[in-house]
Amino acid sequence: MLKMNSMNSIYENLNSKFNILSVDYPDDMQMAIDLEEKDIHTVLAYLKSDGYTQLSILTCVDWLKEGVLQLVYVIFNWDSGIHILVRTKLDRDKPLFRTVMEIYPGAEFYERDVHEFFGVEFEGNERSYKHLFLELWDAEPPMRKDFDTQAYSDKKYAPREYKSKFISEKGGEK
Amino acid sequence: MKEVKLFLGPQHPGMHGNYSVHMYVDGDIIKKANPMPGMLHRGFEKLMERRYWMGNIALIPRICVVEPDINEMVYAMGVEKLAKIEVPERAHWIRMIILELARLAIHLMSFGGIGGPTGLYTASYWSVADRDLILDIFEKITGARVYHMYIVAGGVRKDLPKGIEEEIIKFLDYIETRFPEYEELILKNPIIHARLKDNILLPKEVVHELGVTGIGMRSAFNKANDIRKVKPYARYDQVEFDVPFGPYSDAYTRVSYKLIEMKQSVRIIRQSLEKMPKEGPVRVSYSTGNAIRWTVPSGMVYPVIESSRGEYGYLMVSDGSDKPYRIAVRGASYPQGLLGVEKYLPGHRIDDASIWMATMDVCAPEIDR
Amino acid sequence: MEIISNNLEKDKKDMRKVWEKIGDYFRANSIWMMWYCTGCGAIEMPPTMTSRFDMEQLGMGPMATPRQADVLLITGYLSAKTLRRVIYSYEQMQDPKYVIGFGSCTINGGIYYDSYATMKQLDHYLPVDLYIAGCMPRPEAVMNGFDTLISMIKKGEAKGWKHYQENYDWYHENQLHSLGEVYVKDEFHE
Repeated sequence: MLKMNSMNSIYENLNSKFNILSVDYPDDMQMAIDLEEKDIHTVLAYLKSDGYTQLSILTCVDWLKEGVLQLVYVIFNWDSGIHILVRTKLDRDKPLFRTVMEIYPGAEFYERDVHEFFGVEFEGNERSYKHLFLELWDAEPPMRKDFDTQAYSDKKYAPREYKSKFISEKGGEK
Repeated sequence: MKEVKLFLGPQHPGMHGNYSVHMYVDGDIIKKANPMPGMLHRGFEKLMERRYWMGNIALIPRICVVEPDINEMVYAMGVEKLAKIEVPERAHWIRMIILELARLAIHLMSFGGIGGPTGLYTASYWSVADRDLILDIFEKITGARVYHMYIVAGGVRKDLPKGIEEEIIKFLDYIETRFPEYEELILKNPIIHARLKDNILLPKEVVHELGVTGIGMRSAFNKANDIRKVKPYARYDQVEFDVPFGPYSDAYTRVSYKLIEMKQSVRIIRQSLEKMPKEGPVRVSYSTGNAIRWTVPSGMVYPVIESSRGEYGYLMVSDGSDKPYRIAVRGASYPQGLLGVEKYLPGHRIDDASIWMATMDVCAPEIDR
Repeated sequence: MEIISNNLEKDKKDMRKVWEKIGDYFRANSIWMMWYCTGCGAIEMPPTMTSRFDMEQLGMGPMATPRQADVLLITGYLSAKTLRRVIYSYEQMQDPKYVIGFGSCTINGGIYYDSYATMKQLDHYLPVDLYIAGCMPRPEAVMNGFDTLISMIKKGEAKGWKHYQENYDWYHENQLHSLGEVYVKDEFHE
């Protein structure tokens, strides 16, 4: 109960300063807040000065039906053990955002990751246009929901062909 | 002055797995270093969206090859939080025993890893052979040596086999007699002193900048920043153990902390064997109906645990269907393996690059996914 | 695939000269294994190499450079990016050279059959002398595989490297189809 109260007070403190669209408590010691695009940097900078010194992960969720890409910044406070999931939504057709490298330098490679797999562009992170994991990639960003990995795999990499005779003789079909 | 372009890895005895660092060197001083991950990229995050919640249990241990159990634990914790499942008491303790045995195994493996770059191959021979004893115990409990698929949502797959407690205690007694020998062999060895002492320093500011967690963070911060202490999962709040921490982080300190953590793991396993309920259910069924195609309520949660390399977590999103909507993996060695290599290796000698990889525990498969 | 199977028919006869047989006999008893952990299966290599299973009893040892190695282990799945490096390493190795494929991923894609990043069959791109089944193969299976390879070399059956020379066009075409280009770039992109 005490934990829940402290989470509430963190939320009230944030809500008095910033415009928070919605809040959710997925787990104890964990809070998820939705923000508008323009507020992300101020909120992250505020939270970092408030003890949330670690960016655990920056990642993205593709909501195909709504046509948005949701950026999720998970930040962590080692003293209180509280994770905050800071979320915002971007337009799926033209995802463009500003980097948070000035606030969390460790975000650089997470941003490259998100650019590579979701196609979100980060202004200010110049190297994010360089592919990190994939080499000579020739299709759309693979983690988007409309990318069919099975079809791509069948097209590029030949599957092993088994002789049907072999299967019927030795295998289960009798 | 002429700079030479050099590739360290992926095919190199000092590299831990299929990972590469490209660098410019002047003499033997690194001038510029760029990490080259992706050789182990299998597209796990995409594949997990295509499998059922149940089917993913076979897929996730393969994300981190060296320490697979942490993946199973994080995944199970995430599903339990989304579906609000209460895990039986006995299952919590069994999970802790498995996780701590795995921690012993990976620290032994990393002693083997330090043998490669320093040329102390005896360390590899000893520690890998000792690690195999743990794999034997795993095989008796779960049926597999490396990928166990044992910790599942709702508990563990099946109960411990009869008489395994005595075997674990026998192993713990044995490994405790080996600790002084490892200390003599590795920590008091002149080769190791010469190569690791005051080398590859990790100042506090760098830790902040990179976002390093785990042993690297604790050795620099002088604070017990361990998820097991900060936000305990399973039953870590009911056992006594110490976390090593200090203000000065060089390669030698980090290696010596691994030995201390191993001793503490032994302590945790002994307490767990004593305190765990001797019988009772080890698994609750999570849903009614089809056992394979069970659904998980929609939501977004970020479960974390402390791996041997630091904070390890998944961001799990469910839309209420029978497959995960999105799972993002936070590999614990992501910061030190990518940004750390790039920002911090320049200025060091070539042969110390693989010491960074070994003592910071850069694990390529979890970076690449 | 037809080219390969035709060749296999032809290769059943032992066409080696006497000095090649003597060479193969000695070669089989001292094999250098290339130290390249390409995938998951590499985690079972340290136990195989060190004191419990002791690979050295077969006269095998790890070798750091491809130019001095005899056998290339493909320990599990191969992503497109790794395959480029593997082809580079393989072509640097001196003849005769042998390839062992580990685990189900090299045979038919295994658990990553639908992944956009991994190959489905290794013998499409490189000549494989021996497959060791399993996900992943246990050290006992690996030792057994090495034993088989040794007897294959002695009998002159491990001729993958000759196939690669004779059917280079076919292999190269497959490599280009899946990879685009085989050229390995450095990370600086200069």
